[in-house]
Amino acid sequence: MRVIELWYAILAFTLIVYLMLDGRNFGVGAIQRAVAKTPAERRQLALALGPLWPWHEVWLVVLGGSLFVAFPRVLAVSFTGYYLALYLVLWSLILRGMALEVGGHVEQPLWQEFWDFVFAASSVLLAILFGAALGNIARGVPVGDSGQFQMPFFTNFRTRGQVGLLDWYTVSMAIFTLLALSAHGATYLTLKTEGPVCERSRRLAKKLWILFCPALAVVFAETWFVRPHLPYAIASRPLAIAAVLIAIAGAAAIFHGFRQDLSGFAFIGSWMLLAGLLVASAAAMFPTMLRSTLGDRNSLTAYNSAAGANGLKIAAIWWPVAVALSLGYSLYILRLFRGKVPADR
Amino acid sequence: MSDPAFWHRIQFAFTVIYHYLFPQLTMGLIGFIVFWKYKALRSGNPRYATAARFWTKIFGLNFAIGVVTGIPMEFQFGSNWAAFTRYSGEIIGQTLAMEGMFAFFLESAMIIALVFGEKRLSPKNHFLVSLGVAIGSWASAYFILTTNAFMQHPTGYAVGTDGLLHLQSFGQFLFNPWATVEFFHNQAASLVTGAFVVTSLGAFYMLGIRHHDQARLYLKYGAAVGLLASVLVAFPTGDRQAKMVARYQEVSLAAMEGRFQSGPEAELVLIGQPDVQNRKLDNPIIIPEALSFLAYGTFHGNVRGLGAFPQNVWPGNIELLYYSFHIMAGLGTVFIIVMGLAVLYLLLGRLESSRFLLWVLMLAFPFPYIANTAGWMTTELGRQPWLIYGLFRTEQGYSHAATPGSTIFTLIGFCGLYLVLGFLFFYLIEREIEEGPEDAGD
Repeated sequence: MRVIELWYAILAFTLIVYLMLDGRNFGVGAIQRAVAKTPAERRQLALALGPLWPWHEVWLVVLGGSLFVAFPRVLAVSFTGYYLALYLVLWSLILRGMALEVGGHVEQPLWQEFWDFVFAASSVLLAILFGAALGNIARGVPVGDSGQFQMPFFTNFRTRGQVGLLDWYTVSMAIFTLLALSAHGATYLTLKTEGPVCERSRRLAKKLWILFCPALAVVFAETWFVRPHLPYAIASRPLAIAAVLIAIAGAAAIFHGFRQDLSGFAFIGSWMLLAGLLVASAAAMFPTMLRSTLGDRNSLTAYNSAAGANGLKIAAIWWPVAVALSLGYSLYILRLFRGKVPADR
Repeated sequence: MSDPAFWHRIQFAFTVIYHYLFPQLTMGLIGFIVFWKYKALRSGNPRYATAARFWTKIFGLNFAIGVVTGIPMEFQFGSNWAAFTRYSGEIIGQTLAMEGMFAFFLESAMIIALVFGEKRLSPKNHFLVSLGVAIGSWASAYFILTTNAFMQHPTGYAVGTDGLLHLQSFGQFLFNPWATVEFFHNQAASLVTGAFVVTSLGAFYMLGIRHHDQARLYLKYGAAVGLLASVLVAFPTGDRQAKMVARYQEVSLAAMEGRFQSGPEAELVLIGQPDVQNRKLDNPIIIPEALSFLAYGTFHGNVRGLGAFPQNVWPGNIELLYYSFHIMAGLGTVFIIVMGLAVLYLLLGRLESSRFLLWVLMLAFPFPYIANTAGWMTTELGRQPWLIYGLFRTEQGYSHAATPGSTIFTLIGFCGLYLVLGFLFFYLIEREIEEGPEDAGD
């Protein structure tokens, strides 16, 4: 059924857009201590995130809602299985949101120091949790014959059988994600700030992107070992190959952007690189959505988890309309608040 | 207490009740903000712009807490109510996703322009932005209430051969008659909360002899909207809601009224304590025949009591349901009286000098919150023992893989986190009230 494939693409699109948009904010939070040394600089950082972060977070709500309507079984099985990890994400999001909302509300040094810390800590935690989640999607989860799973944080360090949330593979994916988002966030800051913060971000971004290359090779080799099917699927599916090419072009754009001091160019390159890798992974995984480590017959696929055709078709009509409207609002806001955030406010 | 469903229900109830304390105010306040921005645009009088600017700050704080406490709700369907999600996802997922996509996107973008954009936008565009926020927040309510309406009175569905619900008619689902009635009733109630809060702050400034000109404005429009909305909550919207319940959830109506025996010329209970074990009502004060009239429009209508239904379809907690309903209805009546008096004194030009009434108005602001919460408890307890009325029972719906141990852990986490949020909220609101609106007209 074509409509199921469409919905798999919509879900992948939503997840990737959310990770790229909010991941940028996580990255900025993660490098906060490294690039902003004074309270005023940390304020500059918060302002540089821009006013649109609630709009970014709505993409997560949209992801939940779209999963709900299109693949209710995946939502039901995965959120119950990831129970505690999911709540850690939700609580971290609450703290992150409060830090951004109320941090600038009171002109008091201790108040701001506290919320700056909460913002940084929750951002690091969110980057790690989402990274571990991506690792879990790639590795698989122990879906049993009952069609459900329940996963502790840790069972053992092996990646097969009764796995937990964390093992050597998912931990290295979490660290890799933190690194990638930090590089993405630092690149964004070179575009959106001026003064010392911009200078430090530029230096940090260069170092992080250089680190990124060997880290990507390591993660790729690990994935080859944990789920050998994925690298082959990337090499054999045209969409995945195209996405890899976009990622390579993005890497070149980052390199060029930093050499020629074109921060906008570098940031677009950062988007292309990370989104390209995510698209390639999503294309390679299709149709599996939640792979079972206890045997492929238990895996949740787009075909065995989709809602009925009528519901999918109707939702496929209003979904693009809503996204188009939403992009309109966000462009309006971005235009209203365009420009760099100066160092001294 | 060892029943897993109990803990899933407590967690959902706690998080949703807490969450809804904030949207009920923002949905009401945005009406005032739009109205004052319109007046400012039309008259050019700075007092309206000042009022809109001040209440936008209060709105922003409430909106922020509403957002951060709202996001968990959607995910709790999957984590704690997995079986329900799977059974009905194709249908209720539609409106839950539409809420995010049509309402939140709009609201989250426009609120930025409303709070930070006044200097960058023309007055007319800034007014349109406030209208955008209003449309976003009220649309969000419609989508959520449509979801709830499906659970109260399912329409537009078919049960498939796989045993799951499938969408049959999108139109019947989206324009469920229950949703229409619930929407107007709920939105009128949110205007009541907004009006009482605005009036309360007006009375506070008036009594404290501060920001006189603004206080006068808040009292005038707060009381006028308060009276109008309080009347609308009762009639026609509350009346229509009650007739819906009488028609589609007869057993809930019986439980709400603590009515055990059936019969025509049914009496309306004002006060009394239900004794479920002995199937009677203690110390009742009643109005004869009124319930028959309210439910069916005739004094002879036969209102069936709980005894007419098998016990396995009785709502699980009849006492709490009974009190929720009576607290809501009782407070609703008091609101009409209080706001009616305020409007009367306003018309006589004596409100500002009537210290007693100002004290009452100042202290009244918590009660709409209580009434709104009690109203929602009536709706949700009255739906029991069903998750989707007549189709799917509550004990079928929760996640079996999530143990009570996990649920209690996350419930405790929410209690702690939301307590901190509450303190934070009061501290920040207190600062705003202390600082007050800048006085343009004084």
